[in-house]
Amino acid sequence: MDILACPICKGDLELNVTEETDEIITGTLYCGKCDEYYPIEDGIPNMLPPDLRE
Amino acid sequence: MLEHSTHHGYQIHLADAVYEPAEDSYLLIDAALNEIAGSNRRLRILEIGTGSGIVTAAMMRDAPEHRYAATDISPHAIACAKANRVPAIRADLFRGLRGRFDLIIFNPPYLPTAPAERVDGWLDHAWNGGADGRAVIDRFLGQAPAFLADRGSILLLLSSLTGIETVCEHMASVGLVVREVASIRCPGERLVVLRGSLSSK
Repeated sequence: MDILACPICKGDLELNVTEETDEIITGTLYCGKCDEYYPIEDGIPNMLPPDLRE
Repeated sequence: MLEHSTHHGYQIHLADAVYEPAEDSYLLIDAALNEIAGSNRRLRILEIGTGSGIVTAAMMRDAPEHRYAATDISPHAIACAKANRVPAIRADLFRGLRGRFDLIIFNPPYLPTAPAERVDGWLDHAWNGGADGRAVIDRFLGQAPAFLADRGSILLLLSSLTGIETVCEHMASVGLVVREVASIRCPGERLVVLRGSLSSK
């Protein structure tokens, strides 16, 4: 988590956890400046900016 | 997912559309383990383009005391790496990361690839290095120094097909001291691992 930043503005991200075991399984990372969410699914943060997501 | 065993004895999961570990993977594992051997502090280690995750998984097995993270742009690769217990982040090279790392490892897509030679799907990202083989390597070298800790280093796997001298010059131009730390001859190419460090240790 401490090595993740917004891929657009490189700013801080706000973590919101919806499922957690010994690690975060599902949740979101939110950049308030860009008003953009980055999903965490199956324990994998997806840091691709929206235009690179398929 | 498919089970896969290698001559190094690493058992890893593989998946469709994920690069199957080969000589290049094993050469990089050996170079990376050699690089961190004898380190008496906890290193921050980042692998870019981890694919199946074999390089980081092997390092985590043999040197579990360090901190690891690995990225890949492919959803198939990053899911496979995660299945191999690698701390996986889906990202385009360093984009979406921050911080400084003691060691950055990259087995890049290095094959010179004409547009007509492209393959459909995510596997193309595993080897398509653009017309000169260096498209992704050049992007990586433009970004990597900003993510290196003091006295940190990168380990970059390359092929003689990629233009090793040209990459060495690029590495030097971004302030890295370059040294070849491993090599192996394979049919049709020579594979090398280049070490680039911010200062010569």
